[in-house]
Amino acid sequence: MSAEARRPRVTALALAVGLVLADSSIVVLALPEIYRELDTSVAGATWVLIAFNLVMALAAVPAALLARRIGPGRAAAVGLAVFAGASLACGLSETLSTLIVARCVQALGGAAAVTASLELLPATVGSERRATAIWASAGATGAALGPALGGLLTELVSWQSIFLIQVPVALAAAVPILAVAKHEAATQIINTELRRTGRPHLWANLALAMVSAAIAAALFLLVLLLIEGWRLTPIGAAVVVSVMPLAAIVGSRLTGLVPAAKPRAVAGAILVSGGLAGLALLPSAEVALTVPPQILVGIGLSLVLSALTETALGGRAPQAIHGGWTISARHAGVVIGLLALTPVFTADIAQQRDDAIDAGTAVILDSRVPPLLKIDLAERIADRLGDEEGRVPTIGPAFKPLPEDPSDRAAVEVLRDELQDQLNRGATHAFSPSFGLAALLGLLALIPIALARRVEL
Amino acid sequence: MNGSQRSFFSRGRLLIGGSIAAALILVGVYLAAGGSSYTPEKTQDPCQQRPWRDPEGLQEIAEQFSLSAMDGAACELGVTRETLAQALATPEGRERFRERFGIDDAKLATAIRAGLLRAVTDAEDAGALSPLLGGPLRTTVEEVPLDQAIELVQDASSAFGTFQDFLGPAGDLLEELLP
Repeated sequence: MSAEARRPRVTALALAVGLVLADSSIVVLALPEIYRELDTSVAGATWVLIAFNLVMALAAVPAALLARRIGPGRAAAVGLAVFAGASLACGLSETLSTLIVARCVQALGGAAAVTASLELLPATVGSERRATAIWASAGATGAALGPALGGLLTELVSWQSIFLIQVPVALAAAVPILAVAKHEAATQIINTELRRTGRPHLWANLALAMVSAAIAAALFLLVLLLIEGWRLTPIGAAVVVSVMPLAAIVGSRLTGLVPAAKPRAVAGAILVSGGLAGLALLPSAEVALTVPPQILVGIGLSLVLSALTETALGGRAPQAIHGGWTISARHAGVVIGLLALTPVFTADIAQQRDDAIDAGTAVILDSRVPPLLKIDLAERIADRLGDEEGRVPTIGPAFKPLPEDPSDRAAVEVLRDELQDQLNRGATHAFSPSFGLAALLGLLALIPIALARRVEL
Repeated sequence: MNGSQRSFFSRGRLLIGGSIAAALILVGVYLAAGGSSYTPEKTQDPCQQRPWRDPEGLQEIAEQFSLSAMDGAACELGVTRETLAQALATPEGRERFRERFGIDDAKLATAIRAGLLRAVTDAEDAGALSPLLGGPLRTTVEEVPLDQAIELVQDASSAFGTFQDFLGPAGDLLEELLP
């Protein structure tokens, strides 16, 4: 097959991998919208994310085995068709339970498409090493771009559009793969010679799971901090979290400079932990302060994920099965990260909200605003808190119109700024313990990284 | 180890060293900028005396008086002044407070009266209230019904109004005696 003829298939396979792996994070920015529209809690909406990653983790290896049994072309084509159908169902869901079920089906199709793609790519590009590089890079790009794309679509159209737009993309990716499936069906050339599969690389996969848990937590928590804590719009938050994938692109350049996997994995884990620690120690509620930590996390994740995937796949065959293990480890890590940190975070935000309201009450009681005006303001602020239904409010509108008397006006402005500062402090601090735990998880990944050796089988 | 391997090895060490430095610098800078203390202000212990600001009129004195009363009542109940303020703001708040802390109206009334008595003392200590008024005011406070007592500490305006209402003729005297 000529290079010209191969290009659409390689593009389709890379698109399939990118699309499916983007789905593990694409709904992150839409979660606040989803939990409000479907009338559920933060913890409930998190299951839209958890369900997909959990099924991916459980189905990746069986899907790889299936691809080898029925043929990777057929597995990828069927997987993409199932993924497209389930995406449509996600987009049409009107309840949380149907959305979660559809997400599970989506992950089943996605697992088949992603693992079969790793089986198809070496034959298409003519080199196993290049195939692995394309597969890993497509997956990393999809996962990194997912949140920003999801945020843009949520803001410009709706959260449902995130899923609906995937239907034609998945079907378009399936078209060039159908030719392979037809060829498999016509010739019955299927790799039934199931070679004895070597054991998965325990330490590399364990490290992948731990780092993925830390990264998922970073992304999820940062998005919630920006939207729920600091009241950015989804599109604003999408722009802010774009720093991470951009930094990851820069980080991927370092991969060529340091071919040895272990130093890259160590450096990557340290950078991810450092960035998360920075997010745990934000000195004020300013968006710009999230940029340096995001740069560290972005560069770190590109270094550590590529190094650990290479280590896990290095010298192991069949690639699809071991690719399945890496997918399984990464998504299991995401699930563990979300399950472990969501309760910590939800408990903290409730406590911090109470503390912020207490601190705000103290600010009002002790303010220099004339007593009668203070009472009027207190009533308007209480209404504002009620309107926000438990979210961290933007307090500014409660102070409009400002008094005309210059001294009263100045006193009210001081009170408004102090009150908003207390609320910002509470919202920001609510995320600190979770970011801190995620940083610790990233550091702990250094243990399996240190134990990991590249074993040739 | 050949030259190329040595180069990769040293690049690897450089990468790890650079990563450690970057992580430490970020954490150090954020700590130095106050990252570990960016939390909501802690509320003050209501049992501790809070200095009275220089009140400029009867309304301000009444406000300081009600704040002091709130401190005293909160101290008596073992809650913060802010929690009590939120509880007294609305009937729903009072109901939530009752459920959360298991404090019934009798306990609340006792605590508020104790708070009002402390406010009288604080006002005297601050020189905002003549000692001549302290005695009758204490007697009145001990007799005031719960709802009126709550109204008294609830906000400055009602405090001012109620203050004069329940003092009756003493209210006019109060205006004259206040600094």
